[in-house]
Amino acid sequence: MARAATTSDVFNAIAEPQRRDILTLLRDGERPVTELARELGLGQPSASKHLRVLREVGLVRDRKVGRQRLYGLDARGLRPVHEWTGGFERFWSESFDRLDAYLQELKQTQEDDR
Amino acid sequence: MTATTDREIVVSRVIDAPRELVFEAFTDVRHLSQWWGPDGFTTTTRSFEFRPGGEWLFVMHGPDGTTYPEWIRWTEIVRPERIAMRHGEVPDDPNAFESVLTFEADGAATRVEMRAIFPTREARDEAVEKYHAVEGGRQTLGHLATYVTDVLVREGEG
Repeated sequence: MARAATTSDVFNAIAEPQRRDILTLLRDGERPVTELARELGLGQPSASKHLRVLREVGLVRDRKVGRQRLYGLDARGLRPVHEWTGGFERFWSESFDRLDAYLQELKQTQEDDR
Repeated sequence: MTATTDREIVVSRVIDAPRELVFEAFTDVRHLSQWWGPDGFTTTTRSFEFRPGGEWLFVMHGPDGTTYPEWIRWTEIVRPERIAMRHGEVPDDPNAFESVLTFEADGAATRVEMRAIFPTREARDEAVEKYHAVEGGRQTLGHLATYVTDVLVREGEG
């Protein structure tokens, strides 16, 4: 399978810690790039570049309000991430449930044997 | 943040049993076959040898009859604290991924943690497809619970 570009793959996009920081800030609401850059201690061009990547994979959307452009979370883009982690987590979560039930039986059997 | 955090998935659980017993349940196929896999799954073991370098070769049967080949090689065993393994579909699977199980005493109970570390994007994709397939098998029986996880977002908060 060919390697997906950062700009088309949500997993690659969020592998970058600063981009995850941006997503975390945006959970509290829309922000202009200047604010995001200031909070993260980034230059504005670098913050804009991150936002462009996040927008291209569908994690962030923007809209113009007066003279400002506001960036906000587009959570639909996170869906593949949820689905992916959910599959693995669910597998182990249910296995651990079964393990727990099995061990309770085993403990009971051991006590009965005494 | 460690270098692997971006490629990890962690699932943990407190189980009401002493650590030695919980560990024991991972060491013998007689135990493993009783609980390995989601609800409705069973396993058929072809070979099993629990020692560092040893393998577990088995098939997982989904509730709809779909079968999934499985291969595990134990790479580290520290009784009763830690088990590291490579997990794939066939022996020496190039897309296998590392998993580390840790067992920590928590009063009379035990905290078990399963940490999977994916080496490359390709390996991760392989796991994605496989676990999605497993989930698909479960969906056909309507066993799928509504359960949305939020690992990465939670990580962002931490």
